Amino acid sequence: MTRGTRLAFRPASGGGATKNLSSAAVSGRGRARADADPARALLEVRGVTIQYKTRNHLITATYRVGFNVLQGDRFVMLGPSGCGKSTVLKAVGGYLAPTEGEIRLKGELITKPGPDRIMVFQEFDQLLPWKTVLENVAFPLKATGTLRGKAADERAMHYIEKVKLANFAHSYPHMLSGGMKQRVAIARGMAMEPDILLMDEPFAALDALTRTRMQDELLALWDETRFTVLFVTHSIPEAIKIGSRILLLSPHPGQVKAEINSVPRGQENSDEAAALAREIHQMLFADQIEEAPNVSNG
Amino acid sequence: MFQTVERPNIYCETLGPDQFGIIEKPLTLAEKIYNQAWLRKIAILLLLAVLWEVYGRWLDNPLLVPTFSDTMRALITDFGNGTIPSRAWGSIEVLMLGFALGALLAGLLSVFAISTRVGADFLETMTAMFNPLPAIALLPLALIWFGLGSGSLIFVLVHSVMWAVALNTLAGFRSVSATVRMVGRNYNLNGLRFVVRILIPAAFPSILSGLKIGWAFAWRTLIAAELVFGVSSGQGGLGWYIFESKNQLNIPEVFAGLLTIILIGLAVENVVFRFIESRTVQRWGMQS
Repeated sequence: MTRGTRLAFRPASGGGATKNLSSAAVSGRGRARADADPARALLEVRGVTIQYKTRNHLITATYRVGFNVLQGDRFVMLGPSGCGKSTVLKAVGGYLAPTEGEIRLKGELITKPGPDRIMVFQEFDQLLPWKTVLENVAFPLKATGTLRGKAADERAMHYIEKVKLANFAHSYPHMLSGGMKQRVAIARGMAMEPDILLMDEPFAALDALTRTRMQDELLALWDETRFTVLFVTHSIPEAIKIGSRILLLSPHPGQVKAEINSVPRGQENSDEAAALAREIHQMLFADQIEEAPNVSNG
Repeated sequence: MFQTVERPNIYCETLGPDQFGIIEKPLTLAEKIYNQAWLRKIAILLLLAVLWEVYGRWLDNPLLVPTFSDTMRALITDFGNGTIPSRAWGSIEVLMLGFALGALLAGLLSVFAISTRVGADFLETMTAMFNPLPAIALLPLALIWFGLGSGSLIFVLVHSVMWAVALNTLAGFRSVSATVRMVGRNYNLNGLRFVVRILIPAAFPSILSGLKIGWAFAWRTLIAAELVFGVSSGQGGLGWYIFESKNQLNIPEVFAGLLTIILIGLAVENVVFRFIESRTVQRWGMQS
């Protein structure tokens, strides 16, 4: 497969010892288990082909896509529209069954949706409009029976404070701006402390300024808790900024073009990042088009 | 040719909030009063009452159109001696029973319809057949099946409520966004828990409008049924009161009966349903 040799250059991302410090303060559950076997990938996607039927056609969305996500990765799937990146994410979420290949989380085959993989969607209507911010964040905890009553509210409040929305805990979603809604959705995802957070272009519907701020905040949250995230985007600058590891997909059907390391944290404006952006650009599009490194195209 | 003009950068000082005169100004009392929807509505009602009174006096024929004041007098008298309250309560009791039963059956049918394809086919066919059928047309049959009592009234009420509510509920369930459904499934909600915690609140605006329609249908059906066949469990309801008064040529009382129906309708719409709306769909921002 196309990945092959590049895997050798992979540095160990996220020191194992520091990983659990902040999450242990909230609860002992969750991340600790995966560290038992550091050699094993947290999420293994092997030879996944996904086909679906429309009224007249059988469409192959992805063809034999494979990659591994390790604990603490900020793993980005990048590609133009039609490359099946969201389809792969939905399959990891358990909403779609691959026609060929398999997806394993901690060695267990994924067959249906579950609270060990929380999805953050692009759409603003992912928050339940009949619940306040606090109730929304506490909802999965209570619905799955992870925590009850006050304990659930306390955990929810902890993550609402992390996304800086403590003042809006009792507001309803329709009173919030788009960026705030996405922050609630991220808090809701993180409050479950899932094995992996799945983000489907969560910032794509935001304006450019808010998007940049949200990217910074997401990275700040990652610095604190070192959660594992699988992030889908079609913006090269966003992929370079957010990702520690980038999977490039080609369109129609989606196939892996490359799996590469991003630049180190905080260097997304460096010459190195610009070179990487050009390299990715060349791989994704045959003819090169100039693009400023920090323009997040929507 | 085209010439570019050199322009300097321009920087402006903005005023602080304390340097403005008026940013917020309270409304005058008249504006505040005019902004109250219920006050405006009461003004309309008063105007209608005045028109009625004038027309009644001008016509001067209490057997055709009694004046508003005569009607109010009849209403107050019969309220005072307990006739109207007991008749109205008789109607409302039957109505609530039929309405609750109809809504419950509609809920079960819609849940069945949203969870299986057969259920959806069944509900669609049944609604297509029975929704256009006036409930009152079933009353003769119901009287044969359930006898001359509240049983047959409840049967026609259930029929009048169920299809409208089921149709709206199913439409509401189907319009729940895919994202919200996926969110629910993400948290391992399925079966009845999925319906109760995700589908019903998400579809609540449709469900509520279905209940409103069902309520109006039920009221109409009940009064019509009472007018035609009168007695339910010994003592008649409001429809029977109207029918009796007409037979005794107590036309102001006929009008008082009609007015009572209207008042109850207004109260349910503006108090009960408005309360539910303000606590749910309005607070959640699903309806402005």
